[in-house]
Amino acid sequence: MSKQEITIEPMTRIEGHLGIHAIADMGKGVYVDAHSFVTMFRGWEVILRDREPADAIWITQRICGVCPTPHGMASAMAIDMAYRAPPPPMGIAIRNLIHGAEQLYDSPLGCIILEGPDYSQSVVERSNPDWWKAAKGEKSPHADLHGYKTIADIMTALNPLSGSLWLRSLAVEKLGRKMAALLGAKHPHVNTLVPGGVAKTLTVSDLEQYAAMLAHHIAFAKEFIPVMDDLCNFLSAMGYDQAGSRKINLISYGGYEDPYAYTAKYEDMGEWGLKRKVSPGLVLGGDMITQDLIEINVGVREYVDRSYFKEWAGPHIREDPAGNPLAENHPWNKETRPAPGPFKRWDSKYSWATSPRWEDWKKRAGGFNHAVEAGPIARMWTTARGGKVSESKGNSLRWSLPRASIAGYRVAEEMEFEWKIPEKINTIERIRARAYYYGYVAYILYGQVLQALDLVKRGETKVWRRYRKPRDGLGVGMIDAIRGALAHWVSMRNQKIEVYQVITPSTWNAGPRLSDEDLGPYEEAIVGTPITEERGKGELTGVDVVRVIRSFDPCLACCVHIYDGAKETKQILEI
Amino acid sequence: MSGEIHVVWLPGQACTGCTVSFLNATHPSVVDLLTGFIPQAAGVTLDYHATIMLPWGDKALTILDSAAKGELDPFVLVVEGAVPDESIAEKTGGFWCAIGEENGKPLTFSERLNRLSERAAAIVSAGTCASFGGIPHGRGNPTGAKGVMDHLGRGWKSKLGIPIINVPGCPVMGEHLAETLAHAVLSVRGYLPLPELDGEHRPKFIFAHTAHENCPRAGLFSDGKNSHEFGDPYCMGLLGCKGPISHCDAPRRGFVEGVGGCPTVGSPCIGCTEPGFPDEPYSPFLKKAPAGFFVMEKIHSIKGSAEAVWGRIKERLVGRPI
Repeated sequence: MSKQEITIEPMTRIEGHLGIHAIADMGKGVYVDAHSFVTMFRGWEVILRDREPADAIWITQRICGVCPTPHGMASAMAIDMAYRAPPPPMGIAIRNLIHGAEQLYDSPLGCIILEGPDYSQSVVERSNPDWWKAAKGEKSPHADLHGYKTIADIMTALNPLSGSLWLRSLAVEKLGRKMAALLGAKHPHVNTLVPGGVAKTLTVSDLEQYAAMLAHHIAFAKEFIPVMDDLCNFLSAMGYDQAGSRKINLISYGGYEDPYAYTAKYEDMGEWGLKRKVSPGLVLGGDMITQDLIEINVGVREYVDRSYFKEWAGPHIREDPAGNPLAENHPWNKETRPAPGPFKRWDSKYSWATSPRWEDWKKRAGGFNHAVEAGPIARMWTTARGGKVSESKGNSLRWSLPRASIAGYRVAEEMEFEWKIPEKINTIERIRARAYYYGYVAYILYGQVLQALDLVKRGETKVWRRYRKPRDGLGVGMIDAIRGALAHWVSMRNQKIEVYQVITPSTWNAGPRLSDEDLGPYEEAIVGTPITEERGKGELTGVDVVRVIRSFDPCLACCVHIYDGAKETKQILEI
Repeated sequence: MSGEIHVVWLPGQACTGCTVSFLNATHPSVVDLLTGFIPQAAGVTLDYHATIMLPWGDKALTILDSAAKGELDPFVLVVEGAVPDESIAEKTGGFWCAIGEENGKPLTFSERLNRLSERAAAIVSAGTCASFGGIPHGRGNPTGAKGVMDHLGRGWKSKLGIPIINVPGCPVMGEHLAETLAHAVLSVRGYLPLPELDGEHRPKFIFAHTAHENCPRAGLFSDGKNSHEFGDPYCMGLLGCKGPISHCDAPRRGFVEGVGGCPTVGSPCIGCTEPGFPDEPYSPFLKKAPAGFFVMEKIHSIKGSAEAVWGRIKERLVGRPI
């Protein structure tokens, strides 16, 4: 039997320029190797050098137009810290509301617009006719909630440009961006985040307008989550659990600050991190290693062995502000030195993405450097297991969405949701977690709107606190973007940026291998993925590979601050 | 009404923000444009858009190749993102931005752009990166990034004789792009003249006035009311607003279905529609805009007030003709 090599480039229906090179063992019907490569570079970190630190809040959002707000949030937190400018409670509450509005648009975008078509009638009917046949006969368990009688009806509703879920989702997503524009001036690229709070004149009607739009999301969640549940359970019943499976190594920075806990001081970060509504956490081999943001930060490493960058000299900074040791590969000590190199040299440098790893610097888990995965599944996992919020039940996360009576939606009543920690991390569970996360965000935001109303009642309406820029300072901002853990690091000298570094969730996920034993998460997830597509003419379309990759919801402009291209299939003989 | 018009959307050094923002368009919306909201504007097909298209890999790229061969004529090329200078990357045997490969080498975005530009009926640069280079072009610019107009040459015209149309904004406002594309379709079909462009190739019907002129807070400014803290409801000029030196109507129109607008809600304009963005004088973003504007603004406002007073005197002297 032969092995087939396949190159998929461009990977479409993702953000940015990504290519995947994979090797399939046709005899065993499984993918046995993969390389993830990003093919675009712009040089943000170089452009930021010597600029005013606060400008990074606007500039870094332009790293990614799909998920700009978390860049603005991470940057604002890093600058708050460097400037010693903690915002007043209402400033923090409004930041949370802006951040959440974007997540409400971005989760259905991932599940339905970008990943959905891979499970739509138009793809499945051709790629997996056995699934399509089964789907036509399979009644949807939650049809009473969402109205799609069979799984085939759900698949038809996912057809791009014509499917009803696809079209409805587009409208709901826009409403998320409108909420972001209400408090953020515009979206993409919100304009109101400033050091020390927000640049937003809060008017009496802002919060009620926000709540009225939020109600649509609450109503949509009650249909969307049951739809995705039915689809995911069906795929699982079709034996798709092995696709995209990898070990349970996860990273989450959490999010949704407690307005009274956030001080913008590094030394307190561990403490306010635990008060977030989405909990931080670092998980290795299915064990929670730590939930302390300071400890997580100190363990972050970035390597360029397989990336188009040169090494740098360090460290300049030997300790973090709390006195912990900083390694030379820690982002605070990194310098970005681009060095474009040849294409597709799998034994050498092959990507514009770097390889982040998390070092267990307190040396508990076996092996000290770990490729960890970021995304909704990571933060749902750490929040459910962590026990830091009242919704956390150890093995699940439980919340309920309030009554919302909105024309055009099927369910008005209050509804309880429970996301259970899955046994495996795989393609299906990544998608399911993204859908459930949407409901959890709607729930958090409902609570935040009530809290903001309470702040108004108490007269705490100041959105910004005046500060005086110090000469030098260090800052880090850590938050979960929709696609996962995102952090910005800044070192300020003479009131200018000396070092500015960003590690995005897609860098954690898409980064190249460091060795054949230490693959990046995309690469590792493809290895072992079964080939389910019909192989009429013997040529692979790679649909199973693209499903794995899209389950991570890649955002590559983020990643390199990526690649696009052509699929190429060639036969290589078994040696 | 006659014949299909194809749209090829090519991403370069982009963040996909202009794509997402395009989905914010309302009247017409993206779906309106594709389904044809009136017969005169119907027949527009989006043939290539990496973020939303069904196919991937080679199958996707065939579309770009057929457009370059003229098999999709007439097509409008929409570019998102800046154009890097690949000669810099070639020095070390590499590339900055590739879309597919040819003969074992990466086929760069710039090369794709060159090939498509020879056949395109018109080129529309969506957003500030494609228009002027945007942030990738900002000081430090390691990749030699620039806008499409500077890459192809300011005098470039399509084979139909249409110059590059820039619709800047970081990101482009959805309504701006949808209106420009609808306008272009109606023009090509002969229902409207081509949109008039300013010196920077921006449609005048959108970019004729500054953000300050379009700002709901400008009246408060004339009345001497300035914001001194973020959160204040007055003019944002003392807190860094670049509205007086930036061409944009977002303050008046809002950003998503009429909601938002930068100084409108209390945040400083950062000049994101301008060729010089994100460098001086637009940044630092919290630094006050150059004072030159205020001198001219005062002269104009005194002239306006004098005209208002004289109009009243004249009315008393000679009566009111209307």
